[in-house]
Amino acid sequence: MTELLRVVGLTKVFGSGRTEVVAVDGVDLTSDRGEITLVMGPSGSGKTTLLTMIGCLLRPTSGRVLIDGLDVTALPSREQPRIRRTLVGFVFQTFNLLDSLSALENVEVALNIAGVKGSAAAARARALLLEAGLEGRLDFPASALSAGERQRVAIARALANGPPLLLADEPTANLDSRHGREVMDLLRALALGEDRGAVVVSHDERLRAIADRIVRLEDGRIRRIAERRTAAA
Amino acid sequence: MSVGGVAFAVLLILLVVSLYRGWSATGSVYSKLPGQVWLAQAGTVDPFHSTSLLPAGRAAALARVPGVAAVLPVYARHLAFPLGGGGRADAYAMAIGAPRGTAIPAEARPYFPAPGHVVIDRVLAAEAGVQPGSRLVVLGHRLVVDRLGSGGNKIVQFAFLNPAEGRALLGEPGRVSYYLLVAAPGASLGALERAAVAVVPGSEAHTSAEFARAFSRLVSSGFLSVVGVLVGIGFVVGGAVIALTTYTATVEKARDFGVLKAVGASASFVYRIVVWQSLLVGLAGALLGIAASAVAADLITRRVPEFVTDLRLVDVLGVFGAAVLMSIVASFVPVHRLNRIDPAMVFRA
Repeated sequence: MTELLRVVGLTKVFGSGRTEVVAVDGVDLTSDRGEITLVMGPSGSGKTTLLTMIGCLLRPTSGRVLIDGLDVTALPSREQPRIRRTLVGFVFQTFNLLDSLSALENVEVALNIAGVKGSAAAARARALLLEAGLEGRLDFPASALSAGERQRVAIARALANGPPLLLADEPTANLDSRHGREVMDLLRALALGEDRGAVVVSHDERLRAIADRIVRLEDGRIRRIAERRTAAA
Repeated sequence: MSVGGVAFAVLLILLVVSLYRGWSATGSVYSKLPGQVWLAQAGTVDPFHSTSLLPAGRAAALARVPGVAAVLPVYARHLAFPLGGGGRADAYAMAIGAPRGTAIPAEARPYFPAPGHVVIDRVLAAEAGVQPGSRLVVLGHRLVVDRLGSGGNKIVQFAFLNPAEGRALLGEPGRVSYYLLVAAPGASLGALERAAVAVVPGSEAHTSAEFARAFSRLVSSGFLSVVGVLVGIGFVVGGAVIALTTYTATVEKARDFGVLKAVGASASFVYRIVVWQSLLVGLAGALLGIAASAVAADLITRRVPEFVTDLRLVDVLGVFGAAVLMSIVASFVPVHRLNRIDPAMVFRA
């Protein structure tokens, strides 16, 4: 497997002086194509901060993030949106769909942002939603979908522009066990189906089942990295 | 809600503009009457403030003036009409004689009632509590209300009589108030005026437009300037409502814009969405506001005849364009706010 993500000495410090908080402290991490890396840890351990830095939503205080060999931390701020729409796809805990739009339109918007318009965008969005098992729900307003269906739409949106890296923040936190299981299976199938990689941040122990690598984060530092065989043991 | 805000702003602006137009139209009746030149007694400042008396029997001589197609003797003065509660209302009454064979334009025909009939302004009619078919007794003469006219307001109201009653109620023996001259096509009004004044000693000529302006000045010197200020305020308040509506709609959608930024939307992509949404809201709101204005102006005028409105197409189009333009301009108000949206906010529950 080839390396997809390399995180080197990633650090994020919020505030200064007496209010200084080190949210992520010198994290080194790699993730390969075809691999799901699960980042676990207690609340406040820096999981989401780590994910937002990998996803170019937050500038690190120091350290580097390389996605597919490209040092995204070295790019100017104006380049960050391009990275977010081409190299990474996000899946959020609260889905973050646009409620006034249909399932299809939510995916189309992501394609529009990348410059794919009209029938090409509609066809691509339709194919992704069908792959996500949302037949018969394409034209439903996002607000009318169940939580599990909303997360499926969110996954389809994340994959719309074919990013090599999928970043998921607590993707099963708002789902019951059945829907959580379905989303996990979908993540596994879709995230890795096209030679992608995924970094999933979660408290959900069930996600261990689909993870190839489990990273334990505490106080902003990596305490342990377990490979799948170890994790399953 | 955004559409409603824009519609409310358009309603506000259009109602004030139509009120301004309605009151500005005082005296517009002169443009509807046949004839372009009014021969009046010398020194007549305007029909409202001055009484004009000219010798009768000069119509035939005036008809021979080059460029004159027809001569219409006019009897006119202020006349008190009885009100429902026992009071009286002053109206500017005119009776225009039309010699046989004079071509009366269709829009002027309502001002030539049959004998025993009177056309009164709808504002006066509301005050007097009468409607078409009602009977009035004016200075002992029984008159039937033929129809209701427009062009009047709380300050100036018009009434039109048949010359038969006009001579008795408005005229002096051997006198007329004015001669209204209908110019032949292509005739020079200046030359016609000079020749006509020479025919009737002690007279002077005014154009219909001058008389119309004289009436308009009655209103514009007082009330209309206040309405003019209200129009300005209407535009400012309406513009502020549109700007605030657009800003609020954008702020309410801040999280959605954050999501778009998080999934890779550039700042220009987000701005384009805001401008496009503002344009659609502006279009829909303006159309709704125009429809509401038409209904509201009609309802208000029915209930309060003194609220004289004139909703003109040119104003409707102007306000429509202004509302859409204001919506687009207003979409730039929240640009700073959009810039400050942190896409990482989407990770917060």
